[in-house]
Amino acid sequence: MTQPNTTELARHRRERMMMWLQLTPVLLVLSVLFGGALILAVMQSLGFAPWFGVNTFPDFSYFGALWGSWSFWQSLGLTLYYAIVSTVIALVMGIFLALAMVRMFPCKTLYKYLYKLPLMIPYTVGIALAVIMLGNGGMISRLSAFFGFIGDPSEFPQILKTHYGWGVIAVYVWKQTPFVTLTIYAVLLGVGRETEEAASILGASKRQIFFQVTMPQILPGIVSSTLIIFAFNIGAFEAPFILGGGFPDTLPVVAWRYFNDADYTLQLQGMATVVSIALIASIILYSYLAFYRRYERRIGRN
Amino acid sequence: MTKVQLKGVRKDFGAFTAISQIDLDINSGELVALLGPSGCGKTTTLRMIAGLEVPTYGHILFDDDDVSEVPVQDRQVGMVFQRYALFPHMTVEKNVMFGLKVRGTPKAEIEERLEEILDVVQLQQFRHRFPAQLSGGQMQRVAIARTLITKPSVLMMDEPLANLDTKLRGEMRRFIRELQQRLGITTIFVTHDQIEAMELADRVAVIFDGKLAQYDAPDALYQRPNSVEIADFMGANNIFAAQISASGLATAAFGTLQLDRDIVTVREGAGRILLRSEAIDLLLEEPDGENVIEGTVEGREFFGATVNYTVTCGGEIITVNEQSRRLVEVGQKVWLRIEPRHIWAIRDDA
Repeated sequence: MTQPNTTELARHRRERMMMWLQLTPVLLVLSVLFGGALILAVMQSLGFAPWFGVNTFPDFSYFGALWGSWSFWQSLGLTLYYAIVSTVIALVMGIFLALAMVRMFPCKTLYKYLYKLPLMIPYTVGIALAVIMLGNGGMISRLSAFFGFIGDPSEFPQILKTHYGWGVIAVYVWKQTPFVTLTIYAVLLGVGRETEEAASILGASKRQIFFQVTMPQILPGIVSSTLIIFAFNIGAFEAPFILGGGFPDTLPVVAWRYFNDADYTLQLQGMATVVSIALIASIILYSYLAFYRRYERRIGRN
Repeated sequence: MTKVQLKGVRKDFGAFTAISQIDLDINSGELVALLGPSGCGKTTTLRMIAGLEVPTYGHILFDDDDVSEVPVQDRQVGMVFQRYALFPHMTVEKNVMFGLKVRGTPKAEIEERLEEILDVVQLQQFRHRFPAQLSGGQMQRVAIARTLITKPSVLMMDEPLANLDTKLRGEMRRFIRELQQRLGITTIFVTHDQIEAMELADRVAVIFDGKLAQYDAPDALYQRPNSVEIADFMGANNIFAAQISASGLATAAFGTLQLDRDIVTVREGAGRILLRSEAIDLLLEEPDGENVIEGTVEGREFFGATVNYTVTCGGEIITVNEQSRRLVEVGQKVWLRIEPRHIWAIRDDA
């Protein structure tokens, strides 16, 4: 059977070609830059680095050494602690803010602009601001001393550079609350006020309305925004590097120290650290998503 | 069974006045429509009765008790929203049970009332479906069931028939009417469609620009509107300027008509007369008697069951509507006859 060859068919073929052409840049970036790098990182962490004169592939000793040391688990704990606490705080604040934003209040337009400011300011600037404000020689300590709450700025409680990580968490929350707000606000606008009003007429209290009516409807926004910020927090480097409390460091800082070591063969150890971060992050995020999908199916969304 | 009264109710949103002043009495068990063009304040009125908005001035009374300060949750009213506002993440069953659950009704009672109400709205076989899997009519029945299960003292509906197709409208109209009469529940609904208002309501409150323009039974509103605006909104098409005499004679451009002085309280002066197009006889031969207007058929619109003729009479165009048992040709000379009791007059200063 011969293929009918019409101009319409030719046009369709051209359109398909066009579509692939448009998809190519993203595919290239994903497969070569990201996929290739990921494969290389995994291979290197397993002892493949002929350019350093090391090639013991496959060799699990780098992971063994890493996972066998107590400090790795301390670092992991610290990394997860910063990531989870700041994600939860940003989420709670973001939800409150988004719920407030859908209501009417004076100066709403100005406020809608203001709350987004941190989104446009780089992390490093945020870190610098944290140092200026929260450090022991910072504004708040000096003002406290000036007003006589404390005798000397140095008596100000240590906020930065401790393992409680208040500085790190503050920067993450400052930067990510607007992001969560923005996402959930958009979802809330789509949901509208009517279901909440219907619930209140049916006799539901504010609490019941939030947990039984609003929350399930904004869950897609909650899940997508927390996924993104948690993934960022677990892999972020500069905030814990500058504002963290020193040893034990978070995993990204540990990896950085290996990479920067005079002994360049330690880079393989660094790669093992990086791969561990990726592994842990994906396990956590995947379980989170799987859990959410199960919930979605239960409430009839596919 | 609850009597609803609005006394001097006003609502401002900042500098904007949605309702300038409304007084309204709704009897217990009555079905009342709030009718008006969009933006006239009818939905705001409904939301104030529900408790979603607080009146700026005035009082809302349920059975003579002032409920203006009672929060929505405690007002024991029911509301069916225009787009139903069903909870998309709950099944039909859970949607319907919501109101009882949040009020802490015992489980056994919830089960019992659920079965009962699902039978009433005929949704038994859809109980495990989600709203997205239902048709418009089914969603509306869920919304009604979800409200009725809480046994509200007043039922409110926002444009109950607007989102349904023609066939479903009739079905839903009968369903709502029957349900309302069976339960005897005071019902208030909002609509911008005068047909919908007349189809359903015992009485219709016409609201124009935040004011109550007329509050009457559907036939009174249709036949005896108290302003040209209302007549126009109710779909009247034969409104003519006329000079009315003390003896009940209305002189318009096409001739003089005798009014029925038992129906129209005749006051002398300039005004408008309103001829209902379905009350005019279209005759092919000149009859004897009064209230006859001579004219020529100018146009014909065929609607199947009925037909509209536009007839020019002395420079004015009169629309006549009749059952399409015959068809009169365009250009035909005709005589129009209208009985005095079918003529309504509105004074210009009214």
